[in-house]
Amino acid sequence: MAARRALLAFALFGTAALLAVLTGCASFPADPDGTLDRVRGGVLRVGVSHSEPWVRVLEETEPAGIEPELVQRFATTLQATIEWQPGGEEALMTDLEHGRLDLVIGGLTAESPWTDKAAITKPYAESRNREGKTEKHVMAAPLGENAFLLELEKFLLSEEL
Amino acid sequence: MAVSFGSTELPETLTGTLRKAIRIQWITIGFLVMATTIVGLVLGNSQAMKAAWVEDLLSLAPPISFLLAVRISRKPPTVDRPYGFHRSIGVAHLVSATALVAVGAFLVFDSGSVLLRAEHPPIGSVQLFGQVFWLGWLMIAAMLLTGIPPIFLGRAKMKLAEQLHDKVLYADAKMNKADWMTAAGSILGVTGIGFGLWWADAIAALFISGNILWDGLTNMRGAIKDLTDVRATTFDDAEPHPLIDKVNSCLRDLDWVQDAGSRIRDEGHVFHVEAFIVPQSGADLSVEALEQARSKVSDLDWKMQDVVLVPVHQLPEYARP
Repeated sequence: MAARRALLAFALFGTAALLAVLTGCASFPADPDGTLDRVRGGVLRVGVSHSEPWVRVLEETEPAGIEPELVQRFATTLQATIEWQPGGEEALMTDLEHGRLDLVIGGLTAESPWTDKAAITKPYAESRNREGKTEKHVMAAPLGENAFLLELEKFLLSEEL
Repeated sequence: MAVSFGSTELPETLTGTLRKAIRIQWITIGFLVMATTIVGLVLGNSQAMKAAWVEDLLSLAPPISFLLAVRISRKPPTVDRPYGFHRSIGVAHLVSATALVAVGAFLVFDSGSVLLRAEHPPIGSVQLFGQVFWLGWLMIAAMLLTGIPPIFLGRAKMKLAEQLHDKVLYADAKMNKADWMTAAGSILGVTGIGFGLWWADAIAALFISGNILWDGLTNMRGAIKDLTDVRATTFDDAEPHPLIDKVNSCLRDLDWVQDAGSRIRDEGHVFHVEAFIVPQSGADLSVEALEQARSKVSDLDWKMQDVVLVPVHQLPEYARP
């Protein structure tokens, strides 16, 4: 009896999940705060923290370096314009946590301690640091904005640095 | 061939049952090792998934303690250990129950704090077979794979637990129930996250963990009571064991006995009986008569490991039926 009920529960949950997607739920996964929808055709707010050679925050012009270029191309795929916000890493992470930023870059690695404030992406590149250790380079997206995170990771993976 | 079971022997029919129980526990261990590996690989950031993983790890405690305890409990009593080794079952029951409590408490705390801090769990992408897709799908698949076998394992163990009067198996059956419930909850939670309901995951985990914690505490209470000599109960600790009444009336049926009452404690699988007998006035209390009475009680059930008869003038307060 109990076993049949349990199996039924699994079957229900499984099909509910599948149906949800097959019946064309516009985006699955969805963002609780709608980040991807807002950014698409709108503004991508990016926090930048100086970290050579990944991010160079410049006085006169827009940020340069490997990561700003990547973000620039990502914004293009979403037809979004970028609003850069320079700052220290901690301040930027706090802004990201409270929804004032959509993305933070600054030579972050997979070892980043910010996991409770930001969703750390999959590594998009690897490098060796001065100690000869391999570093995996990542970006930081808002926590739980899974549609946006998935879109960003898909983009980063397709770039193949 | 009969299996020795401390100083008693397990009846023919139960020998097969015990073998079945041992086999199912090895299957459980094999399954859990596989499940922890699979779930560990797709863990990600889902609260419920993490919970399911810790749960699978802790689920190893009951089957392992069962296999150890069964091995130890079968040793016959020695001069050093005159009561035999059956208490190892009680210890294993306590270990299993503690594992259940730990799982439940961990989950309640973990999912509760996620809710309080309103943490939004991030679940990103995964690359498999050259395809990039949402990690949530992989999590759901893993949960379907690891959630269904425990339904059947738990059901089989529940049956064996009753036949063998084995409370470790009983606690383990509850653990398997916890396993499939967490898996179902994780599917619900991850699907919820997919819909953008960040709280779905933690709510599902909280609901299920409450249930697990309750099962754990009930079992823990039962185990501690058994170890501290509570009156023997049925395998699910639901009621006093019916053998207590049977022992008393079996003794009262003897023609030289005026009244009888007993205290029986659960040594794990088997019982330790101390029966007090008030003989009829003027009855001749021979050693033969006492030994006959003793074997009559012993023959009532295979669980009668140790029977001690105490002739008295008046039944002690606690042994009065």
